[in-house]
Amino acid sequence: MKSEELKNQEYKYGFTTQIENFKAPKGLSEETIRFISKIKKEPKWMLDWRLKAFKRLKVLKEPNWQKPKYPKIDYQNLYYYSAPKSMKEKPKSLDDVDPKLIETYNKLGIPLNEQKRLSGVAVDAVFDSVSVATTFKGELDKKGIIFCPISEAIQKHPHLVKKYLGSVIPISDHYFATLNSAVFTDGSFVYIPPNTRCPMELSTYFRINASETGQFERTLIIADKGSYVSYLEGCTAPMRDENQLHAANVELVALDDAEIKYSTVQNWYPGDKDGVGGIYNFVTKRGACRGKNSKISWTQVETGSAITWKYPSCILQGDNSVGEFYSIAITNNYQKADTGTKMIHLGKNTKSKIISKGISAGQADNTYRGLVDINAKAKNSRNYTQCDSLLMGNKCGAHTVPYIKNKNSSSTIEHEATTSKINEDQLFYCNQRGLNQEEAVSLIVNGFCKEVLQQLPMEFAVEAQKLVSISLEGSVG
Amino acid sequence: MEQLFNIDFKRISTSSEKEMLKRKKNFELFLKKGLPNKKDENWKFSDLNFIINKNFNQITNSDGFRFDKKIELINDFDHNHVILINGVFKSCDIRFEEKDKVKIQKLNSLESLSNQSNNNLHNLNQALSLGGFKLELQKNYKCKKPIIIYNYFTSNLDNKIINNSNQIKLNQNSELILIEYNITEKCKFLKNTFEKINIGQGSELKIFNIQKTKSNGYFYKNISGTQDYNSTYQNFLLSSGLKFNKIDIDMVLEKENASCYILAGLILGKEEHQEIKTRINHMAPNCKSYQKIKNVLENDSKGVYQGKIFVKDIAQKTDAYQLSKALILDDKAEFNAKPELEIYADDVKCSHGSTSGSIDEDAIHYLMTRGIELPIAKKLLINGFINEIFENIPEETLKIFFEKNIKEQVSEI
Repeated sequence: MKSEELKNQEYKYGFTTQIENFKAPKGLSEETIRFISKIKKEPKWMLDWRLKAFKRLKVLKEPNWQKPKYPKIDYQNLYYYSAPKSMKEKPKSLDDVDPKLIETYNKLGIPLNEQKRLSGVAVDAVFDSVSVATTFKGELDKKGIIFCPISEAIQKHPHLVKKYLGSVIPISDHYFATLNSAVFTDGSFVYIPPNTRCPMELSTYFRINASETGQFERTLIIADKGSYVSYLEGCTAPMRDENQLHAANVELVALDDAEIKYSTVQNWYPGDKDGVGGIYNFVTKRGACRGKNSKISWTQVETGSAITWKYPSCILQGDNSVGEFYSIAITNNYQKADTGTKMIHLGKNTKSKIISKGISAGQADNTYRGLVDINAKAKNSRNYTQCDSLLMGNKCGAHTVPYIKNKNSSSTIEHEATTSKINEDQLFYCNQRGLNQEEAVSLIVNGFCKEVLQQLPMEFAVEAQKLVSISLEGSVG
Repeated sequence: MEQLFNIDFKRISTSSEKEMLKRKKNFELFLKKGLPNKKDENWKFSDLNFIINKNFNQITNSDGFRFDKKIELINDFDHNHVILINGVFKSCDIRFEEKDKVKIQKLNSLESLSNQSNNNLHNLNQALSLGGFKLELQKNYKCKKPIIIYNYFTSNLDNKIINNSNQIKLNQNSELILIEYNITEKCKFLKNTFEKINIGQGSELKIFNIQKTKSNGYFYKNISGTQDYNSTYQNFLLSSGLKFNKIDIDMVLEKENASCYILAGLILGKEEHQEIKTRINHMAPNCKSYQKIKNVLENDSKGVYQGKIFVKDIAQKTDAYQLSKALILDDKAEFNAKPELEIYADDVKCSHGSTSGSIDEDAIHYLMTRGIELPIAKKLLINGFINEIFENIPEETLKIFFEKNIKEQVSEI
């Protein structure tokens, strides 16, 4: 098969589930917020919190410094809450869940039935604005681990939510984060008790199904002293020719000696090959290494979305804390990505490491934007940053915008970046051994990304590798 | 802003009413936008508005002055020279060159420079410019000796602002070494310079920036230039000892095989702040750019490097490199960098590196075990760190002169 003959493989997860939806009235207003809060049966403090965020939102302006520009979003023309009608009353067990929903997840390769699941992964499945099911709850309960939808946590564990929600991303942070604080619908809540190693991978699968709907999920993960958790996040959406907004907030808190490993395989609908449709993925992810010797590690594989705009960050407050960021961002056709990380060193002897791999093909634009800020008090801190970009063709762009600040004499920052194309010699070598152009490129790109792919948990690594190859199909030749 | 700037337009000699109107219009535009602050991405790390307001109560434009001192010329090597006193073109002497090949004259203030409408300081410059020098080299002429621009600032400049505009043009296959040499008497002032450079086909321009003494001046210099086929531009920034200095370089490599080098070696001391901002635009294939910025920061100094490499889609085979290294010697010192790449062509070799940290403990330990005392070991390493910049100067006499100059600065640490 010649590479020119290869067509872009259709987006595998682009189907729509025909299901009756129950929606909030269109538009962003105090009524919408009250509606969401009411339907989630939230206590008053939560509603007040949302309203405070909404008040703040009114004075904030949408940021416009990013590289990918997009048409103005009409916030009044969006639904802020959409859930399958059958989910109006929360099902007691999996048997009560609408079979259509279960089928959807089966189709996505995420069976919710515990027997069929890969053992070792507990899943929280979020469909539009509600959590459909959470698996392996019983087993986790035994260890005292809380893994549930955040709406449930607000009711059952208010002291934890009150204490940590908004403590990493304050309600007045920036436009999209504040918007999320006002209208967030569902997401996952994780609490790992002291000195507990979570026995399985925790995972949330986000699915946007309804049209004209924005998804605003909120995830909060707390790792108490000496605990460990690995959390995975996956996401898909149907193919539509409208752009849909996804503005999530993810907050991580690691206390003394705790470690959180957060992995994302982002595969929202990227739009078609002419750049029509696709998700605007404007996400705020931030982790606070609050305790001594704590560690937060972000790994992301970004292949989907029309526009990806996010900077998973680490605030290294505790002495000896460690922040890591591993990223692969692949853009093809008219996709755009502006992603990177922020490492803010506040504690002594803090360390951070950034490995970013950007690949652009077609007419895409890929930007790495990052900040390393070593505070005057963060003595003996270290940072190492490496960002490499790969360009395929001369219609795409690769950009690197690192901000590097060093405010004390005992800390060291090292930063390296390169931009290049696929080595002709390597391609030739592969061709010579009988690999066609596509296969050769896929092999080389996978090698280019290896450092990041290695960081993913087993269950994700295989999928991510395939995704990397598929995302680039049609970009060679 | 209006309170800060007390400008008397009568002090500016202008040729026509029309020109005066244009100046006033530019000044109004400037007042409207004010001095750039950190909200402006280009001034993110050096909030000029804050710095000026902190250090100046009122700023006036410079007045007529009498000058009868004799400027002490450099006698380490033969050279031609141009003298500017307080930004005003005073005299020039090109005794080593063929007279009809090198043209140096006073630049009339409002000769249009590039259009930089989004730069407030450009408006300010257009409003108050006193002109500067205009230098043109005829084609196929290679200057035999360097030309030194003596920039002399007198002590009665306190709280004044000087606006300069210069123009440098090298016609085909010409060559020039230009040294900008600042001498300042003790006073606190502002200088805002806009310089335009055109380098013709096959030509080579080398510029060195250096200070004779420490200065209380606040300098901003904007250099915008274009380069033709096979041309070379080299800029050595060795201007340590300024209270505030920002150099803003925008070079456009318009035609194939042009190369651009920016090399800096700075030692910043107490209350000093320097920023180097560059934008190298690769607009044609096979061009090369190379930037190496080295800062030694002591006390509460602040060093900034904002570099950008832009590669247009047709500029294949571009070779672009940025490196910034900082030695931070004191906990109060700060180094900020933003080495940026914006690339639209795929067959390119673009990379950047940036490091900042303190002196290598192992190296110090090694030297000390050889019986070298700590302060001397430190100086040795700092010298070695900065000296790397001089390796790129082929002219031996100049190299010795600059090295001597830097050594004096290191010994002050």
